[in-house]
Amino acid sequence: MNQRLRSMITTTAAVALLGLGAATAVAQDAPVAGEVAEGSLKGKTLTFASFGGIFQDGQLAALQDFVQKSGVTLLSDGPTEIAKVQAQVESGNVTWDVVDTADFPPYVHCGTLFQKLDFSKIDTSKIPEGQTSECSVPAMNYGVVLMYNTEKYKDNPPQTWLDFFDTEKFPGVRGIDGSGDFTGGLLEQAFRATGGDPKAMTADDIDTAIDKVRQLGPDTIFWKTGAESQQLIESGEADMAMMWTGRAMTAVKNGAQYTPAWQDWLVVMDQLTIPVGVKDPDASHALINAYLGKEAQEILTEKTSYTPINTEAKPEVEPAVAAFLTNTPERQAQGYQQNIKFWVDNFDTTQEKWSAMMAGG
Amino acid sequence: MSAGAARAEEDTGSASRRSLRPLALALPALVLLVAVIGIPLATIVLRSFNDPEWGFQNYVWFFGTPVNLVVLQRTFTMAAWVTVVCVICAYPYAYAMSVAGPKIRLLLTLCVLIPFWVSGVVRTLAWMILLQDSGIINMVLRAGGFEGIRLIRTQTGVIIGMAQILLPFMILPLYSVMKGIDLRLVQAARSLGAAPPRAFFSVYLPLSLPGVYAGAIIVFILALGFYITPALLGGPRSTMLSTLVQNQVLSLLQWGRGGAMGVVLLVATFLLLALAGPLMRQRYKLAAR
Repeated sequence: MNQRLRSMITTTAAVALLGLGAATAVAQDAPVAGEVAEGSLKGKTLTFASFGGIFQDGQLAALQDFVQKSGVTLLSDGPTEIAKVQAQVESGNVTWDVVDTADFPPYVHCGTLFQKLDFSKIDTSKIPEGQTSECSVPAMNYGVVLMYNTEKYKDNPPQTWLDFFDTEKFPGVRGIDGSGDFTGGLLEQAFRATGGDPKAMTADDIDTAIDKVRQLGPDTIFWKTGAESQQLIESGEADMAMMWTGRAMTAVKNGAQYTPAWQDWLVVMDQLTIPVGVKDPDASHALINAYLGKEAQEILTEKTSYTPINTEAKPEVEPAVAAFLTNTPERQAQGYQQNIKFWVDNFDTTQEKWSAMMAGG
Repeated sequence: MSAGAARAEEDTGSASRRSLRPLALALPALVLLVAVIGIPLATIVLRSFNDPEWGFQNYVWFFGTPVNLVVLQRTFTMAAWVTVVCVICAYPYAYAMSVAGPKIRLLLTLCVLIPFWVSGVVRTLAWMILLQDSGIINMVLRAGGFEGIRLIRTQTGVIIGMAQILLPFMILPLYSVMKGIDLRLVQAARSLGAAPPRAFFSVYLPLSLPGVYAGAIIVFILALGFYITPALLGGPRSTMLSTLVQNQVLSLLQWGRGGAMGVVLLVATFLLLALAGPLMRQRYKLAAR
């Protein structure tokens, strides 16, 4: 009897505890993008690293609400370099709490330099499909578009990347992103231009694709910075250029007589990551969760003209900016998604070959 | 112990103290050099042999990859061209500085120093504006009825930009040697019947050569490591080794390979200087004679 009573009490207590636990778990399990508990990070400091310029300014503006509510002190640093993240992780002194990176690094260094994200602390429900990975969520969307000179090509403009690689039908100087890492999508299109099927690409085909780029000839301009790409079409030096949508938009606004061929524009993004070994992973997760909010994303787009990654965001932008946003149904249908897994698996060899080509080898 | 012996001992003591004194004077610089150059350099050398594992893999990779050798050779060729352009531009300029009156000399010195105070990045960007196809140089050419020429993204463009940035490193050592040359020696040569060219080549030029060598070595070595200017003004055919190092370290996180490239460049530079050394000493003797 005594024993039964004891066991009853234990069971009741256990059930009660369980219930309590479940309630807390539910509260924790349902983070809402953009929200952060009042005063929850008071006295803490977070450092956000990104690529600088108006982009990082816009990101910081988008995070202002998070800073005010949570009470965190937000520091800003950069530019992002994976080698710096590596140095911080290896020395055990990680000073970057959230890092904005290019497309591939969170895949290439998942679990080694960037930690696996805890998705019970981040609301990913409003992120466009297929854009989160184990170690990253998107920071914004943009596109790599083929811009062409409307005066030069007049009635017979290039329509896809196949035309970009066809120097006989479409003579003229090409501008290509030579700012750092290769763009997988461009190489897939180059491979397509040789008659190959990018979906069935193997490691042996990487040379074929890079050769196709090489065959564009000695006049090809590999631009080193976004500003340079913009300048190339504002001055008319390149007749066709592969460009980031943000820069293309600014160039057109500045009067460049160029227009994008939207078919098969390359879908690219920046990523948000948390390095391995940050002092306060919960605080880093809270920052990312706030960043993904509807209002934060609206501010980001209004300040930077990049496409928001919260599907509910309705930024107010002028028509020139709206024309280059990539989240409309029409653009989504035209976009070309690169084979991320393939490029991540072959990252080192491809980058090696790509940089050899850019060094005139 | 006699007084004399004691004095002798004191003398040797102060002598050894005296020989240490220069070292003490150099100490701050020495500490700084060891801390900010010595240690990182040693780390780079070490990593070239032990990253990702012990062995010569990074060097095997370097010499087994054709593009590395092409770019290494190109790096030396371009540095040599930059040096030649600098000597040609700096020699008459430094001479003018050394013979000019104080006001003109001040003006000439300022013309060298003011650009020197502007960052290399800014000057490189300025060169982009000047050299590009739609830039000022080509605009002037076209206005004058000439064909435009391709300067940006060519080796010529990079050499022009680098030479302008490095010019002060050639002018200043040359000037400091030239202002010490006694011009009466040239007059003496003339009075002994030497025509002006002969007086210049037999007397003035040999005396000024130490300045040429000092400037040339500084310019050449600095040019070998240039990064921003070739990256921004150059194209695929003017990529220099530092760009490849950057790709290995920053894009591929291959610190070992990046280190090996740096070590190869350093050793090649030392070898070249070792070869140039005896030649220069020869010239010094000639100049002294």
